[in-house]
Amino acid sequence: MGGLLSYFSALFGSKERRILILGLDGAGKTTILYRLQVGEVVTTIPTIGFNVETVTYKNLKFQVWDLGGQTSIRPYWRCYYSNTDAIIYVVDSMDRDRIGISKQELVSMLEEDELKKSVLVVFANKQDIEGAMTVTEVANSLGLPALKNRKYQIFKTSAIKGEGLDEAMEWLTNTLVQAK
Amino acid sequence: MYTLLSGFYKYMCQRDQYFVLILGLDNAGKTTFLEQTKTKFNKNYQGMNLAKITSTVGLNIGKIDVGTSRLNFWDLGGQEELQSLWDKYYVESHAVIYIVDSSDRERVEESKEAFEKMVMNDNLAGVPLMLLANKQDLEGCLKVTEVKTIFNDPLQVMGQRESWVQGVSALKGDGVQEGIDWLVEAIKRNSSSRPPQQKEIT
Repeated sequence: MGGLLSYFSALFGSKERRILILGLDGAGKTTILYRLQVGEVVTTIPTIGFNVETVTYKNLKFQVWDLGGQTSIRPYWRCYYSNTDAIIYVVDSMDRDRIGISKQELVSMLEEDELKKSVLVVFANKQDIEGAMTVTEVANSLGLPALKNRKYQIFKTSAIKGEGLDEAMEWLTNTLVQAK
Repeated sequence: MYTLLSGFYKYMCQRDQYFVLILGLDNAGKTTFLEQTKTKFNKNYQGMNLAKITSTVGLNIGKIDVGTSRLNFWDLGGQEELQSLWDKYYVESHAVIYIVDSSDRERVEESKEAFEKMVMNDNLAGVPLMLLANKQDLEGCLKVTEVKTIFNDPLQVMGQRESWVQGVSALKGDGVQEGIDWLVEAIKRNSSSRPPQQKEIT
């Protein structure tokens, strides 16, 4: 009975899941956030600081933080790490030049104790552009096969076209309902 | 005296850590098998809704304790494109569970090819291998003996290692217990060539 109750409270519960959207500048983090929230493509400018919105998906509330991705403000990401249930790491699948930098940021982020239990979701974004990196390319370039203690999942997304986001939210919902 | 006690404490709390790789084509039932195993072996584990499992593009992890051993599972995505990531895990694996969808007769050849490629890899030499003929609950599926026959060739050439074929239904949970029981023993028997990592339980 207790299990059933906790199941329902998890389903309709008041507790919001906390999600961070991170990635290099120009990856499409803000576009993704507002795609998730209002379902539209909004015109964005480079984020200095952060955007935070509440997104409801299938009775589950997500508090989604989109942090600015420019080099100078990346050091401040860590201020937001505590109590994070999931990290959405956004990669510009066309930006082969900077994928190495993206990897470094990801690796140093995942070393943080506060993020030890967070689920990692990688968005290989901008898949609407021809010649975008494949899932395998992204996984290898980010060094994901070296992650042995963390559940992760990659989604091909196009924030502009709204593709892949539903699948990703569905997956996140199932994963986070279970984790509580 | 302190050293003695702390040594004893460590000895008591120590577990042999093993890593088990779960492979197979996409939609073979790898994640479902992992969830089922976690549910069976971990008390109070609230499993994922098995009906809602989607295809894995990445990694799922899980751990179970059997006696003094701890098994850590790596469940990898099985899509063709993702199979190139499998070998990154071979060196550290103590065993491999290969899952076949027995109800999918059309792709059984494809599955066999992926299997062949995997067993020929030197980094997996000697590692115990369990072949699971999954979805035995479905009507008209390949029987365990049929799966055995199909995979006979690669099973012949794979050299010195322990192997085991088991019929399961990951969805219903049939055969999971038997499979894991065999796996644990096989890993232990092989532990002289692939020793466990020692870790304190926390």
